[in-house]
Amino acid sequence: MALNGDEEDFEWEPPTEAEMKVIQARRERQDKISKLMGDYLLKGYKMLGDCCEVCGTVLLQDRQQKNYCVSCQELDSDIDKDNPALNPQAALSQVRERQLAAQVPAAAPELNGGPTSSLASALVPQPRPEHCEGAAAGGRALLPPPVVASPPPPNTTLQPVLEEAEEAVLTKLRWATTQLQSSASLEASIQLCSLISSCANSLRSLRELSQ
Amino acid sequence: MVPLEQLHLNHVLQTVSALESVILRSFGPEGGQVLFTRDTGQVMLSRSGKRILTALHLDHPLARMVVRCVWKHSTITGDGSKTFVLLLASLLRIIHATASKETHMFQSHNSTKAAEAATARHLADKLLEFALTELDKFIVLNVLPHGFCVSLENFTAKTQHNLSFQTLLVSFFHTRLGYAYCDFFRNLFCELLSHWKVKDDQPSFSIQLLNNSFPALHTQVSGVPVSCSRLIEGQVIHRDFATPCPQVRKQPLKAAVFNGYLGIVHFSSWTERSVESIIATLQSFGVSVLLCALKQSSAVLAAATQAGMCLVECVSEEEISLFTYVHLDFHDCEERLKVKPCSLVICAPSEGQADQHACAFQDALRMLLTALEPMHKTQTALKKTIPSEECTSLHTDNISNEAACRVHLHQKCVIETGCVISAGGTFEFLLHHALHQYGHSCSVSVNTSAVSQLLAKALLSVPRQIYSHNLKHFLQAQTRVMALIPRQPNALSNMSLKLLDLGFESVSCKYQLVLAVLQCLTNLLRMNMLLRTHTILHTKSHNSLNAHSESSEDEDED
Repeated sequence: MALNGDEEDFEWEPPTEAEMKVIQARRERQDKISKLMGDYLLKGYKMLGDCCEVCGTVLLQDRQQKNYCVSCQELDSDIDKDNPALNPQAALSQVRERQLAAQVPAAAPELNGGPTSSLASALVPQPRPEHCEGAAAGGRALLPPPVVASPPPPNTTLQPVLEEAEEAVLTKLRWATTQLQSSASLEASIQLCSLISSCANSLRSLRELSQ
Repeated sequence: MVPLEQLHLNHVLQTVSALESVILRSFGPEGGQVLFTRDTGQVMLSRSGKRILTALHLDHPLARMVVRCVWKHSTITGDGSKTFVLLLASLLRIIHATASKETHMFQSHNSTKAAEAATARHLADKLLEFALTELDKFIVLNVLPHGFCVSLENFTAKTQHNLSFQTLLVSFFHTRLGYAYCDFFRNLFCELLSHWKVKDDQPSFSIQLLNNSFPALHTQVSGVPVSCSRLIEGQVIHRDFATPCPQVRKQPLKAAVFNGYLGIVHFSSWTERSVESIIATLQSFGVSVLLCALKQSSAVLAAATQAGMCLVECVSEEEISLFTYVHLDFHDCEERLKVKPCSLVICAPSEGQADQHACAFQDALRMLLTALEPMHKTQTALKKTIPSEECTSLHTDNISNEAACRVHLHQKCVIETGCVISAGGTFEFLLHHALHQYGHSCSVSVNTSAVSQLLAKALLSVPRQIYSHNLKHFLQAQTRVMALIPRQPNALSNMSLKLLDLGFESVSCKYQLVLAVLQCLTNLLRMNMLLRTHTILHTKSHNSLNAHSESSEDEDED
């Protein structure tokens, strides 16, 4: 037994730098999850005996009997972190890259990235709604309200960009409406209504721009 | 088919980490307080780990188990609930990291998770075994020499022992009740102890008596400033007279205590006559006060009123037992008459605060009881010898043998009681150093070395959290404690006196804490399945645990 142990000891190698980074990132994520869970427990949330099916984190339940998974609904998963469609930070960084590319006269700006990227250029990213009681319902789908002042994109690419933006806003409007119909919580309904009104405002400004 | 769920090491770690993050912000001398609000609008501030953890809504069985362990530990030692959770979480993290590296030991398991769990279980068992057999030797050799002894002989004398005792109390009340009232409560506590001290018995006897009868011994008064708290002579019965109370006569009052009903409950003419005859008999003995544990019938009340006797009904069991103990048992022995029974009145602006002060008092009693427990009794010879001159200089004025620190060079038996060490992580630093050195020495096996190093690493998390606001302070504290090690122990140097400023904590309490944490850890890691039941499973301790919580949560796990 001891001999076997020695042989297998020699097989174990210390993790490489990339693996160390992954381990470190995972540990930090776990620490963040614990801290968030602790905060919610102190606010009166209940720790359930169940785990989330998606990520395996312990579920919390608020006063309105709604289940809440800290990692799925507040922290982004490792994969979705860089997807601009799901993360306004990633979208903003992509937009900035595009603006830098557009300043170079020879290169034409590339229309890559998600449909929300042009919308993100006019928007100011808000802090995450971690401190709201009804954060569970909002989740990451809450878009920050649009800001009127924005740098106008070049005229040649205006029309398709505006069309894309309109389509994105309409999609979100549709989604918010379906959520509102099925929503049971007061806070969530208020937030969804505000989302719908901000979508309507965005549509109005987009249509004004196209005229 | 009963639904089963596998418990993995990750679940355990996540649950305990969540509990750790709850108490982390209140931990240490710079920790904050938690504001509790009820639906009725009442608010209360508290830093007590036990109160915070029991107020949480927890349905997860592992979390409830941990909180129950903390509660039980706190009921015995009176302190250390936050340190418990911190140490537990740190041990789990280290074991998790070790288990994921060393799963080769249990290759026969199907999955890596099962192998990890088995490794973790094995490590926890080894840790507990090590702690139960060897840890006390490390503490006696490496930690106790740098501490001080408390004595309960004479509270007012300014000896070194007495100073340690006073500092221990002040630092305890400081952590629990804040800086403003720690001196005031220390004085009140010492006064209470001195009144209840039985001359020919061990001090722990009177402290045990006070602890057992504390609910009967104190009265909480709200709406009055804290400085009005004081001791009053005699015992307070928390009930009003059920019959009109005539004027107090000059001769000593005679009282009769009844545990049951006087006469038979059912009303009948025969009963009336029997009650009258009982009252007449009592009157012939000269009894003027009747204390009853149960509610008496109107016939009894009428008869007592007619006879001019004061009757108090529904007196609690603790009050009756204290009353009978003081007035009957104490009078057996002449020397015991010197005890002056007194009762504690705790005043505070609000009910919640009065309750907190009362709990702090009782926890101080429990802490002292644990501190005075004998630390270590061994037949093996000490490896290091302690010079006898320094030993005798400490207790020149202390001739009795209860709470004295006594090291005999010629005898091979060591009994250490009442030892304290300066707070601020000194215990953890010293024990960490000792275990670390032991782990690196050549005379130990690989397994023991791994286990002792694991424990050493986990212990360091406590001072790290204490000084989490400033890493420089952590390093300074570590350097200061490490500088103590090569010195001659028990020397009252300038260094030791400086450490007095940090306050004291009991070594025995810390030892009990480490053992309790390791036992809780072993129990946690032995679980690997979760069974969901359709009925409510309640135990008595669970009910008393949730006595404070206002919400009526549904316990069904469907």
